[in-house]
This record gives sequence, C-alpha cells and structure tokens, in this order.
Amino acid sequence: MGKIKNSQRKGPLAPKRLQKAAEDSVLDSHSSDLEKPGTSSDDGFEEPISKPSKKITSLPGPVSIIARKKNKFRTDDTKNVKPPTLEEMKELRDTRNLFHSNLFKLQVKEMLEELQLKTKYTEYIESWMESFTAFTQQQLKDGLMQKSQLEVPLNVDMKISSFIFSKPTKEPQLIGAASTGTLLGPKIVVDVALEMPKDCLHKDDYLNLIYDQKRALYLTYITNQMRSYPAYAQDKFAFNYHANNPLKPVLELTPAAKQVSKHLLLRLFITAPQSTFKPGRFVPWNNNIRPTYYNDEWDEEEALPSTQHYNANVLFDLTLAQNQALLDKAFKGRRNFQDGLLLLKVWLRQRELDTGFTGFGAHILASFIVYLNQQRILHQSSSSYQVARTVWNQLSNTDWTNGITLAPAASQTEQLSTLAGYYDVCFMDVTGQLNLCANVPLAVYQRVRAEAKLAVDLLNDMKLNSFPYIFMQKCPLYTRVDNILKITNYSSIQQMLVLHSKPQVKYDYANYAYPQLLKILTVLLQKGLNERVQSILPIESVCSSWPVESKAPVIGQAIQLGLILDPEHAYEVLDKGPASNDNPEGSAEFRKFWGGKSNLRRFQDGSITEAVVWGTAKDAPSKKRLIVRQIVLHLLEHHLQLESNEIQYIAAELDLVYHLTPWFKVSKVKTKLELQQDTDAEALSPNVIRCYDDLARQLHALDDLPLEIVSISSISPVSRYCEPMPVLPQARLMADRIHASHIQRVIIQLGQSGKWPNELGALRALKTAFLIEIGEKLKAQCHLNWSITSEGLLVLKWGFCFLLELAHNKELALLKHEVTERGVTKYVDNSESRALEQRHYILPKVSGALHALHQTHSAYGGTVLIAKRWLATQLLDDGVWPAMATELLVAHLYLQRNAPQAIAAPQTGFNRFLHLLAHSDWNGELFLLNFNNSWQEQQIGDLEHSFRSDRQSYPPLALATSYDQQHAGRLWTTVESPSLRILSHVSRLARHALEMIETSLQSKDLRFVRPAQLFRGSSEGYDLVIQLKSDLVPNALSYDLGSPFVSFDQPNYLLPRAGKDLLAGIVQQLRSAYSDYAAFFYNPHGGKELAIMWRPPTEFAPKAFKVTELQACTPCDKGKVQVVRETLVEDFKVLLKDFYLRISTPEELKREQREQQNPKRYFNAKHQETEASSKPKKQKLAKAAKVQAPPKKKSLIKSKPLKSLS
Amino acid sequence: MEEIEGYTVVSLRMSPDAQHCHSVYMREHFIRLMDPNKPKGRTLFLLNVPPYVTEESLKGFFKRAGNVESVQFAAKPGKDETIKWYEGTKETFSTVSPPFIFKVAYVVFQKSSSLAKALAVPSIDLFDISGASTIKTGMELWHEEYENHYILDAEQTKAQITEYMADYDRRERAAALAAKNSEADADGWVTVGKEGRNAGFEQKESVIGRLEKKRENDTKTKELKNFYTFQIRESKMQNIVEMRKKFEEDKRKIELLKQSRRFKPF
Repeated sequence: MGKIKNSQRKGPLAPKRLQKAAEDSVLDSHSSDLEKPGTSSDDGFEEPISKPSKKITSLPGPVSIIARKKNKFRTDDTKNVKPPTLEEMKELRDTRNLFHSNLFKLQVKEMLEELQLKTKYTEYIESWMESFTAFTQQQLKDGLMQKSQLEVPLNVDMKISSFIFSKPTKEPQLIGAASTGTLLGPKIVVDVALEMPKDCLHKDDYLNLIYDQKRALYLTYITNQMRSYPAYAQDKFAFNYHANNPLKPVLELTPAAKQVSKHLLLRLFITAPQSTFKPGRFVPWNNNIRPTYYNDEWDEEEALPSTQHYNANVLFDLTLAQNQALLDKAFKGRRNFQDGLLLLKVWLRQRELDTGFTGFGAHILASFIVYLNQQRILHQSSSSYQVARTVWNQLSNTDWTNGITLAPAASQTEQLSTLAGYYDVCFMDVTGQLNLCANVPLAVYQRVRAEAKLAVDLLNDMKLNSFPYIFMQKCPLYTRVDNILKITNYSSIQQMLVLHSKPQVKYDYANYAYPQLLKILTVLLQKGLNERVQSILPIESVCSSWPVESKAPVIGQAIQLGLILDPEHAYEVLDKGPASNDNPEGSAEFRKFWGGKSNLRRFQDGSITEAVVWGTAKDAPSKKRLIVRQIVLHLLEHHLQLESNEIQYIAAELDLVYHLTPWFKVSKVKTKLELQQDTDAEALSPNVIRCYDDLARQLHALDDLPLEIVSISSISPVSRYCEPMPVLPQARLMADRIHASHIQRVIIQLGQSGKWPNELGALRALKTAFLIEIGEKLKAQCHLNWSITSEGLLVLKWGFCFLLELAHNKELALLKHEVTERGVTKYVDNSESRALEQRHYILPKVSGALHALHQTHSAYGGTVLIAKRWLATQLLDDGVWPAMATELLVAHLYLQRNAPQAIAAPQTGFNRFLHLLAHSDWNGELFLLNFNNSWQEQQIGDLEHSFRSDRQSYPPLALATSYDQQHAGRLWTTVESPSLRILSHVSRLARHALEMIETSLQSKDLRFVRPAQLFRGSSEGYDLVIQLKSDLVPNALSYDLGSPFVSFDQPNYLLPRAGKDLLAGIVQQLRSAYSDYAAFFYNPHGGKELAIMWRPPTEFAPKAFKVTELQACTPCDKGKVQVVRETLVEDFKVLLKDFYLRISTPEELKREQREQQNPKRYFNAKHQETEASSKPKKQKLAKAAKVQAPPKKKSLIKSKPLKSLS
Repeated sequence: MEEIEGYTVVSLRMSPDAQHCHSVYMREHFIRLMDPNKPKGRTLFLLNVPPYVTEESLKGFFKRAGNVESVQFAAKPGKDETIKWYEGTKETFSTVSPPFIFKVAYVVFQKSSSLAKALAVPSIDLFDISGASTIKTGMELWHEEYENHYILDAEQTKAQITEYMADYDRRERAAALAAKNSEADADGWVTVGKEGRNAGFEQKESVIGRLEKKRENDTKTKELKNFYTFQIRESKMQNIVEMRKKFEEDKRKIELLKQSRRFKPF
C-alpha cells in the first residue's frame, strides 16, 4: 500500500477533472469556429481569439457538444471523404466478398504483374512468326528428301524407305500458351505448329508407326532447310521429345538474337490435317500397330489388341488445329481467363505435376476452363481469381474417370462410358475423338484433385494468408512422398520388359518402356500394399534436348516411383488373407501372390487363414517403418525376380542418426528394463515416460505433505519424443552424488494457500524447504534417492534422473513487480520473468500439445530427432539455435496443411524441414502454431499487423504458439539466438543439403545420400579449433558420424554429474565475454572440439582511446588501442584450463591427424577385414570412406564454407 | 611505464611466463559526485578488467600496496553502475550472478598512501609464488561451483531457511504493525492499508485500469450512437473511410513485400 497525502485522497480523479476542463476549452474553440467560419484553422497551435471564446464559455454544455458534433461531421465531410464512386464501391465489395482481404487480391495482382511477359518477347515472337511464315512459303520446295547429316529424331525398328517432301500449304501457327497468351517464364517456351500437307501422307500410313516416321522426317527436312537458311543459321538447333514422349520429337530453337536468347525457346511441332485419315480410324478400340510389326505371333482368331494410347497420340496431332481454335476463341482478348489460367499454371508447376509423359499438362487445365465456360459454371466476366477458384472447386468435385467431354452432343458420336473404359481418366476434346488425359494415370489425376481440394480449403481458411502456400511455395514431389522406389539398372529394366510386360501393353504404347514399367509396378505394388499406400506416383524428370546431328536417345529406361503411405495402415505387421476353409480359391491365390512368406495361421478369434507376418507388434517404430520396404522388396523379388541390390528403395535412410551407437553395449547397463542393442532414441522414450508416470503417481500418493500436489507435468523433450540422444537407464548414485547424462525436468504445482510470503527471497526459501520435504518423503515412503540443488530437487528412479521444480504464481508476480513513480504497482515482463513463465507455465502446455501432435502424426518425433541431430552436427548448439525452435518449426510443418496428405515418414519430414529452412522468408513470416485452433481470427490479424508494422521489435525468427499470446513471437527465440547471421547460415546449409539430396535423387547412378554426407559439418571457414581432452568430455550415445576436424578416437561414455553441463557452461561464458570478437561453435552431442571464427578484421583495427570502448584493448601506436587476437586466445586457454588439449587452425589439425593416424587402418582393405569383426563401427566408416574416395563425389561431401557467416 | 590519456597501463599476468597479456588501465578514482563507497584519494580505478578476474584475486594482489578495504566491479564507469552490477546477486536462493564480461574495478585502500604505490606496480600478477593462478577457472571452477553452489546440503539449507524465515516473519510483522497505524507522520503522510477504517483501494495498475474503464463504459451506455440520421450517415462514411484506409495499408504492405522480391514464383 502506497503512501498518499491526505489532501490528495481522490488522486486519480483530479487529473480527470483537469482533462475535462481542457476538453471544454477545446469545445469552445470549436464553437467559435462555428460562429466565425474560416477565421482560424483550429489545430491547437494558434491561440483562439480570446473575445468570442470568453463569451461562449458561459454557454451551457449540451449546446457546445452538439456544436462540436456538427462541426466534426462537417470537417470530415470536406476533408477526408469524397463520395465513393460506383466503381470503387463495387471493387471494395468485391474484395470483401471474394477474397478475405485486400492482401490476397493485391498479392495475386503483384504476382500477375511479375509474370507479365515483357514486350520485347511478344514483339520478337511476332516478327519471328512473320519471317517463319515467309520462310515456309518461299524457301521450302517439294521433292525427295535429300541426304543430310541430321539424324532423324526417332527410334523405330523398321524404317520406311522413301519420303517425298511437299511444301506446307497452311501457314505455321502459334499453339498452346503462346496462342492463349499465357506464356510463363523464366524459360519462355513458344510452341509453333506446322501442318504437314495431305500429299505427304497416304491413306495407309496410319498403320505401324508410318505416320510417326513421316512426321519425324518432315521435321528433319524442315530443320535441315532452316539451318541452311541465313536468317536462322546462327540459331541453336536441338531436338527433344515433347512431354517425354519418344514418338513426339520436336525441334527446339534457341534464337541467336541477344536480347531474347537467354529466356526464349521456340518449339516446332509437326501436325497433320484431320481429314488425312478416315474418321474412326483412331477410336480407342482399334488396333493400329500390328503384332507382326514386332515380329510377334498373334492368334488369328483372337481380336487384335486395342492401341488406345497410341491412337490418342496420333489424334493429338490431327485434332490440334481444331482444339487450338476452340482455345483461341475462349481466351483471345479475355484477360480474366488468361490470368486465371496463369494462376493455375503457376500452381501446377510449383507442384511438379505437369512434368513428363504422365504429367497433367497445362493444356488440360486450359481445356477445362473452356469446358466450365460451356457448362455455364464459369461466366465470361468472372475475374481471374474466380476462374482459378472455380477450376479448383470443380476439379475436386467432379470425377473424370467416367468421362467428360468438350464436344457438342452432335459430334460426340461414341458413348462416353465406352470411351472412358479404355483410359484411367477421360476428358474428350472438342472433336469427341481425342482423350486429352490419355496418358494421365489415375494416381496423378487423384493427386491433382487432392491438391485442388487443398487449395480451396486454404482459400477458405480465414486465419491464413494462403497466398504463399498456394503460389509461392515450391513443393517438389519428392518432399511429398514418404518412400521412393528407384530402378535404374539397365538389365533389370530389360528383364522386366521382356518377361513381365504384356504384349497388349507393349503395342498400346508402341513399345515405349516407361509406361509399361509404370503399369507393371503400380499394379503389383497396389495389390500388395493395398491399404498401406494412399497413392503411388510416378516421379519423372524432363528429358534434355540433344543436338540435331546426334542420334535420338532412348528414354524411359529408368523409373522412379513415390509412395505416399497411409500412416494408419502402413505399419501393420500382419497381412491377413481370406479364411482357408471358407474361400479356398482366394486362399490359394493369396498364397501364390505372397509365395513363401505366406503361412497358414490360427488366430485368437479362432479363424485359420493364410497370413504374412512382417514383424512383431512390439517392434520399435523405426523398425516398423521399414515394413513397407520389406514388402516391396519381397514382391519385386517374388514376382519380378529383382534382387534387392538391383533396385533402390529409399526409406528411412537417415533414421540411423538417432540410433544408439554400436560402441556402447547395452548389456553393461544394469536395469530391469528390456533393452536391445540396435535400439534408438525414439524406441527408448517410452521407458522414460513410463518411469515419469510412475513417479507422478508416487508423488500424488505422498502422505502428510502440508499442501497437496495439484499438477505434475514433464517438460523435458523426451516426454514429447523429441530427445535425439538415446536415454538409457544409467543414472547412478556414486559417492553420494547423482551421476546422469540426462535430467528430465518436471514441474510441480501445489494447491492454493494464502500463506506464501510476499518476498522473493522468502518465497524461494519456502519452495526449497518444500522440495526438501518432498525429497525426504520420497526417500521414506518410496525409497528413492534424492538430492537438493539450487535449481530444484534431483530424484533418481529406475536409473533415470528427474529434476523437480516448484511453480508458484507468486514468484512470477514478484519477478514482474514494479512500482512506478506515482506509487502505482505494475507488473512488467522482463527477461527473467519471461524465462520463468516459459518454463513453469507455457512449456508444460506446449509440451502436452506436442505430445498430442506426436500421437496423431507418429512421424513428428522422428522428424524432430533427425532435424536436431542435423543441426547439432552442423555445430549449432542450444545457445545459437534454441532446441525449442526446431521442435516448433517441425510442429508447424505438421500442423500447417500445405500438403493434402500427412507426412508418414520422418525422412520426408526432414526433407520438408530443410525446405522450410532453405526457402523461408524469415523477415516476412511469423510462424504461428495455432494449437487447438484457439487463436481467434481477429487476434491473428492483430498479431500479423503488429508483426508487419513493428518488425524490429520481434526476433529474426519469430515463433508463436497459442499458449503464449501475450509474448507472441518473442518467447521462444531472441535477437541473439538465432541471430540473423546464424539464420542465414542455416538457410545456406539447408540449401546445400537439399542440393545433395536432389542430385542423388535425380542421378541415375548415385545412391541416396549417406548420413555421413549430410550429418558431418564442414571444417572450412573456421579460424581456430580448440581440441578438448577427450576423456573429460563424454561421447554422445547417439550414432556418431564423426567430427569435421579429427578422426575417431576411443570414445568414453563416462557419466557426468547430474544437472550441469560442463561444456555448455564454459561456452556460454565464452560467448557472453567474447562474442564481439569471435563466434563459437561446437557439437552439443558429444563434440570434442570448439571451433572459433574471428569477427571481421575491422573489429581488430586500431581505434581511438575511449573509456567506454576499451574492452580487451591493448595500446598500440599513437595513443590508439586495439584488440589483439593472441591475448584473447590466452584468455580462452585460461577459461578452459585443464580442459583443452591444444589450440590450432583446422588445417594444422588436419595435417597432424593425417600424419599421426596410420592411413592403412582405414583404407587398406586387407587390414580392415581383420579388424572388422571386432569393431563394427570402423568397418562402416571404412565403407563410407571408400565411397567418398572418388573425386567426383568428394565435392558433394564437403559442406559449403562458412565464410559468409562473418 | 606506459601512460595513455592519464591512465597508467599495466599488463595483467596470469602466470609468470605469460606472453600475451591484457592491458589494464589504472588511475586514481575521481569524479565530482563522490560515492561514499569509493572515497576520494583512496580509490584506485581500473579499466578493462578481464571477465574471469574476481574480487578476491585483486584484493590479494593489491595487498602489497597496502591493506585493501574493498574491491567492487561494474560494467562501465558511472553512477549506480556498481549497484546494478550486484543487483539480485546478494539475495538468498537467488540464481542471478553478475554478467561475465569485461568490466571496471574500484579498489579501495585503507590508507591513501597505498594509492601511489599501487599506481607504480609494473604489472598485475594474479598468481602466487609457485606460479599457480589465484583465479579458479576451467575444470576447477566448475567443480567448485557444482559442489558449493549447485548442490545444496539438505540439513544446512534447512537450518538456513528456518533462520531466514524467522527473520522474514519479524520484518513482516513490523510492516503490518506500521500499516495499522493511521496517523500522519511528520511530513503529513499516512500509510493506507487494505484494512482499517479509511482503507483505500489497492494502488495497482490493473485496479486503476478497471475503475477507469468502468467509468468510461458508464458514459458510453448513456450515449445514443446510431440513432439520428446524421449519425447513421456518419457511420457509413466512417465505414468507407476505414475500408479505404485498410486498402491503403495493405497496399503499403505489398510494397514492402515487393521489395523483398516475394512475387516471383520461380
């Protein structure tokens, strides 16, 4: 209670009255204004004219109030508001109704502007077309095809003998994006179609690929002529396959003209008039490639197999003109449709769904817009946003598997359902003959639908700025699938094609390998994996062009499939067949399908069925994640005779990093718990959690405590499956001191009592007394050892060590307590109170939420483990990158719905995490974790607003959860950790890691990156390395992939004293004292070196003597002072006394290592064999080293230097 | 001896054969507003003291110049800096420790004659005759910290707590007694408590805020906001103005975003 002078008892009221008086005077001046309009600009700066104001002071109050109101209204009217025009009203209303905010609309507008083609390109394209038209009409002559050095860009078995060229009768035409005005950078591809005249073709050419050969020859002839024509002689000519289709060669022309050559590419298509062949020649059920063409025998009595895909392929050329005309009609001059299509194209391309043979091309979307327009679902005047939105909506709500058609009812001669029966997905074009989606497999179409549905959901989510998720974020397919199957081995591909591809399929795809492989594998895997897999997606890469003189490459000889798993079923250990006595046939079939793996089993419910068992229910989660891999490998071997070394199945390749190191033998741990040697951090967490639960029960049951324990919550990462280091029950009482490598923090809250003291010291004293009491009771009633520390109570149970802390509201209040000058008590957050609130109140809730998240997404924990291990191996410890930031960022990935399916594999989660690190706009994005959706829309808006307008007051990486509203964005991270420098450094590291992953995925020969490549930091960029005595720093229990500086040493697994981390403490001291001159890095997971990087030389330059800036300075010439690095090094030595082995530069250290170590031990194979049996880890290392040996790969292994960090 | 801007520069040696040493800048402490804890003529002022140097070690060293009364640190020279430095560290059961940074030191001698002697030392040697450092660092320091400050002895702590709480109770009682006393003191101030005849409301920010809000609400409910035609018209206008404002604001946001080149999808 403050002291107030008697006379001022009504303190707070007094100023109010004053204010009122002031208000009155303002009113007066207003009314004076009213009386004498225009005399004074009443802004408070000028003195009001005294005479009238005096007169009006005597006026009664209400009059003056009305006067003020009128006055205010009038000024508003004249100054601010000009009456809104109809147009403006409409626009404002539109914005409100269509978009949630102006923001989305403006962002879309900006993006469209950004995508707008520069006029130089449009002009160039126009003039090029003119010249090309002239060229086709004047320079091309009918006649026999001359011999040229060009290779015909087509691989066929039987070649036609002669081909007579005839001059095109029609002008070349722009097709596709160039024609509809929706060209999209950065590489602008302009498609030009040239129609082959009818004279070139005979009516029998439809058969056995003759048409395709003529088409290719025609293209070659034109290319040849163009090359010799001076106007094009300088240009770069290349052939390529359109959409990875080996029957569709196109000419790719890069103009030599300087101003456009970088971004412009012209593609020349050859088409044919529709009237060339008899209508109905190419209906899906017709056969146009005879078995005899491939020297196959065919039973004459049997009907010829239909070649629907090949037919569609030819029809594509024949109907192109007509389709193009339709598109032109719909898009020409309609900016809204064009923009809508552009938006959709951006969306599609970010998702990589339009690539390759099986891609869902943008032309399908364009046709779909026309279709919707025809169906009167899209109106002519719909805005671009409406176009995109309607397309997404319709995509997700319609089903094309039964077929839709663009053709008017009159020309759709065939039954739609019959047509649809021949394809997975059916969208007939305007002629009613061509299926635009002929090559789109069902999985890809479903994927597009799912993505479209997600886009609509994102748009509907008012709490989200959905724009970046829909348009800006790159989502390569490999980050969206859980497992990847990659077959690149030539002989196994051939084996599959020859032995397992059905002849019908072979004719259907004109012997193109890729779709055949796709069909074989998807059918098999879909059947075998059944519910376990949500979809099997082909991951294609676009084939590259080749110079016109060389032979056309054979493509499609490798396949990569992405599996999206269903987390609910994927990890089931049992595949049950039909009951053997009810359904003997099904049973036999099941047995045949699974081969030797299938056994007859009797189940608890009494049924006896065939079943395949892949593991036991008790298996560790990481082991269960490999079940799908087991199944796939088994199926491939059983059905396709593919050995596991011929294929790559990429799953859980990186999960190794949180496994228990093989050096540590679990048999040495004395415990009642069951432990396996090949266990990992994730599998060990439940032990700790169980122990904690038991401890909580014991605490609740304690008798005679003065106050009852109300709540107990664990805040250690283990409790949410986020501890990357395996926690073994090792903690022991030795010489009266508790030794443990990990302590689990537990927060206890007590029941209400009014008797707690009002002073911080006394409160803490009482808390400590209370903890001692608990400790004594635990010893007496539960026989648990304990020890009191300044932080809390250490309790030992089952070989785990817990640190109990008491939370009390009053402590927080007392920390925040402040008294202002006026004697008013205020509660103000400060760093100490914030830390306490976080630990005692917010972390328990967030911990619970993350635990719940792990229950719904079982891959969450694993992802965090890999992510944390990765950051640690890049020498980033808790001091520079808070561990909670990692957990929350990963949680953000799982909460945010930026993919239609949840992530089922930790490795995929890690890939996404890297993406997030690599491509996030830290400055512009606030990561909000809306647990339980408890933030209201309004609150989110306010937070975002404050974040945008006051960015400086937030840390570089801003994280907020729904449990820390008042600290939003400032609780989990600070300005120093992670600092801007570290943040950009991490982004760079992540980009580099992604690059390695992507190259290994795209390459035909490389295997997936090894953990050793990703999980070992770079030794470059550091100035100094302090090597610590290895026997003083215990090694981490997690799988160690080596330090960047030194080679492996004998590890030690000493148990440190519980509670205080030695190395972390010293590094913290170093950072607090010397961070102006140097940055310190070390691996918190058992790293034994401290890497130091000096700040830029300007920090060490001589400067003038100033009393306040004299830290660490030594005098140099002319009365100036400077910081000397050697002195600082001496300081480091002092601080690390008894602790450091030596200080040297990384290069020196490396050289020394090389001389010291006998290299034979690692590289000499013979030697290795003898040692291998005893030292499993070294053997593995040696393998890794061998892999690293070729210089080509070496560049991959090195991480990028850190130089730019300083 | 080296001098710079009136400061004597000496090197601070941690061992007899130290090569690269920090330079400490010394002079007599003198400012206009003297602090009673740093008396004039007896106080030596040291600049650029390395973070690991302790009060005891400096005390030990400067004993050779004369008996040392006290050694105090501060983050930088200035009034109240010393108090700030030690803030919160002296309380029992506090986990606060002074920052680990380069600092300034004030060495107060018992006699003023010691000052000149101190200023004449060739170097500050923080090691004993055997050459061992007088400052505990590294493993040794960690061990000491752990044993003496982190781990607490249960019995001792209990005794300490009983003592502390008894003291606290005494203080509380005294304060409570004072609160009941409602007579004006010499300056005319009266202590007002929550209890008693003339109890005031609690002088807390939240309480005051609540009262003010209540008053505001009272006036608001009496007013008619959307009643007269002109008011309705006005609110409509206001709405449009607001929408325009929001539009402008969003536009500005976009400008900001544009600067960071966020609109290129590829």
